[in-house]
Amino acid sequence: MAKERRYLPLRSTRYLGRTMQRYYLLTRYQRLWGRPLKRPLAWVTSGAPVEILRALRIDPVYPENYGAICGARRVAPELCRAAEAAGYSPDLCSYARAGIGAILRPDLAPMGGLPRPDLLVTCNNICGTVLKWYEALARRFNVPLFILDTPFVTGELKQHTVDYVLEQLRGLVGGLERLTGRRLKPADLQKCISLSNEAVRLWGEIRNLCRHRPSPLNTPDLFVHMAPIVVLRGTAGAVAYYRRLYDEVKERVRAGQAAVAGERYRLLWDNIAIWYQLFRFYHLFSERGACFVTDTYTGGWAAGLAPGDPLESLARTYTAIFLNRSVDFRVRQMVDLIRDYEVDGFVMHSNRSCKPYSLVQEEIRRRVMNETGVPGLLVEADMTDARVYAEEPVRNRVQAFLETLEMTV
Amino acid sequence: MTTASADRDPVMILLEAAASGGAGWPQLYPGSRPFGYFCSYWPEELILSLGREPLRLLPPAAAGVPARLPAYCCLPARACLAAGEAKEYDFLAGAGFAHTCDTIQCLAGIWPHRHTFMFVPPVTMDSPEAGTYFKAELERLWRRLAETAGVQSDAHQLQRAVVLMNRIRSLAGQLDELRPQLPSPLVAALMRAGQLMPRAAYAASLEAALPALAVKADGVGERRRLLISGSILENDGLYVMLEELGARVVADDTCTGYRHFAGLVNERAEPLAGIAARYAARPPCPCRHQYLEARLDYLLALARRRSAEGVVLVVRKYCDPHAWDAAAAGDRLREAGVPVLVLEMETSTPGGQERTRLQAFLECL
Repeated sequence: MAKERRYLPLRSTRYLGRTMQRYYLLTRYQRLWGRPLKRPLAWVTSGAPVEILRALRIDPVYPENYGAICGARRVAPELCRAAEAAGYSPDLCSYARAGIGAILRPDLAPMGGLPRPDLLVTCNNICGTVLKWYEALARRFNVPLFILDTPFVTGELKQHTVDYVLEQLRGLVGGLERLTGRRLKPADLQKCISLSNEAVRLWGEIRNLCRHRPSPLNTPDLFVHMAPIVVLRGTAGAVAYYRRLYDEVKERVRAGQAAVAGERYRLLWDNIAIWYQLFRFYHLFSERGACFVTDTYTGGWAAGLAPGDPLESLARTYTAIFLNRSVDFRVRQMVDLIRDYEVDGFVMHSNRSCKPYSLVQEEIRRRVMNETGVPGLLVEADMTDARVYAEEPVRNRVQAFLETLEMTV
Repeated sequence: MTTASADRDPVMILLEAAASGGAGWPQLYPGSRPFGYFCSYWPEELILSLGREPLRLLPPAAAGVPARLPAYCCLPARACLAAGEAKEYDFLAGAGFAHTCDTIQCLAGIWPHRHTFMFVPPVTMDSPEAGTYFKAELERLWRRLAETAGVQSDAHQLQRAVVLMNRIRSLAGQLDELRPQLPSPLVAALMRAGQLMPRAAYAASLEAALPALAVKADGVGERRRLLISGSILENDGLYVMLEELGARVVADDTCTGYRHFAGLVNERAEPLAGIAARYAARPPCPCRHQYLEARLDYLLALARRRSAEGVVLVVRKYCDPHAWDAAAAGDRLREAGVPVLVLEMETSTPGGQERTRLQAFLECL
């Protein structure tokens, strides 16, 4: 019987709590302080070019991040039920259902739900769901909906695709200028892009530190500490936060401290977290000395904006994110991560809520296993809706996988 | 190759094609190697211009279960992949995917044939930049298709294809006008045949069949007048059941029904720009965005124009775009006083549960 192993918490977690509390407190009362300052509030998707909004003093709120909070606090099933009662299928994305449920039943929702938006900005670089979800929000709130259409990239990013997205970005800027009554100042946009790039660079460096043996972080750490790179991207607050986190993680590396004591296996995680089981699920691994040293999801926020014309750079970067890329690209990405992080095995969360991420996973699993010889496990669950999580089958599959690893590593 | 001829009933030719489901192509049309495609946003004209026939790939009835897609993926994708893996599509010259939903995007990525093409139309179609992008994407696709086929793309051939497809769409439009007076399964099958047989033969057969169909057309009588909206219906099962229950589909907004044929390409325009413009103006599917209420306005207007007494919104299990729109369209239509039934179906062959729900709905009208 394996001995229970100690999991090393990060000191920065307390600072993270304060950072996120401040963000949500400011967000909650944004209608009070933002209106006199003529700062509109926008609900945006996680892959939207937020730098433009920030440069125009529009305050972004992220329903997807809020969905993760609903999942982690285990209130998502109740909120999803509220949305389902209003006609939304239980097969739809649980972030979206929880978010709509929070609008319908603020009494059940963390923080009483999100404040009402003045506008909505959706970018379909992560999935088709965000188009339909934001259409539903636009009908409910009767506010302007801005859509950035970033065509799926089948191979290499083509110039006519970049031109199309660039023209839309110009249109988005014009629309937001009319809405705010402000002109976008190039210096303000450049400043936001620089801050965004610096936070992204630090986030990438933090992830890179996990190449070290033993790894200073386990992927649940990355899931928890990714919140600022999502909601505060383009701000000095995000940069300050990730400097502090980087220093702590670097210190761990210098001291040879492991996130999972007695690290025996180095694993890779694919897909969004199972938020309502975050530590319990990963404990199944850490208690046997298995550490998730890298993942594909939080790496989505580690791609910086290229130098050059700011709007063209935004067009290229936001169109080329990994969820908007082909199976070949994603196989290559995983193979590279396995090589760079010296990974012994990988676990894929077949996430019922996220079809573009999940439907191709079995194909990717086979191809990555063939190419690297590293075993891969597929576990079916949902990122937020705990009603579809079957604990015993998951536990059995994880145990069998770890026993396989024991034989092969 | 089969064509409409004096010795064969053109309706029978069309029904034979519809019943084949596409899998019977090698037997029905020996000597031709079609190019398979998914989704009505795939530009059939490009295939025709290169001397190939387009064949819409519909989920076969007796498909297996592919290991490479999870159970929470829609049946049309799973069934087509299973058939592809079982080499049932080896007679195709290639396969084309128009990017629509997340599932089609994923299916294209794991499709088991060498000559697979993905083409990505814009989602927001009504802006000048979308038109420019769409045309460039069509040009790129046409070039790649021609290279793979080893032939030269020819503007004259493309124009001929546009004219042929316009003729088909006009004929389908005439058939759609007769829809309220004809048995619903018959119209559904005739529409489906237009996606499953050589196009010139389809045009000839449908043109020959229309006068006889017009003679056969009678009133709706006591039947309940319904509008059906949804994605793929690969057989006539639902239409048969509705007729059995005393209803008539007087308006159709399914992906394999009239929506596939709606709208014409401007023959005076440059062909690729004309093709793009047709798609932009066509009644949108839930994966596209013209303006926020475009699809709901269209459904309500269609229901009113055809005096539909109720609307059945068919949602294939795990079809996200239609499931999203079902909530909004249901609210909008009910607010306008039009009764709505959201009917979730795993396969397109309805069973006892669907019968009970449809029966109850019809009794309430």
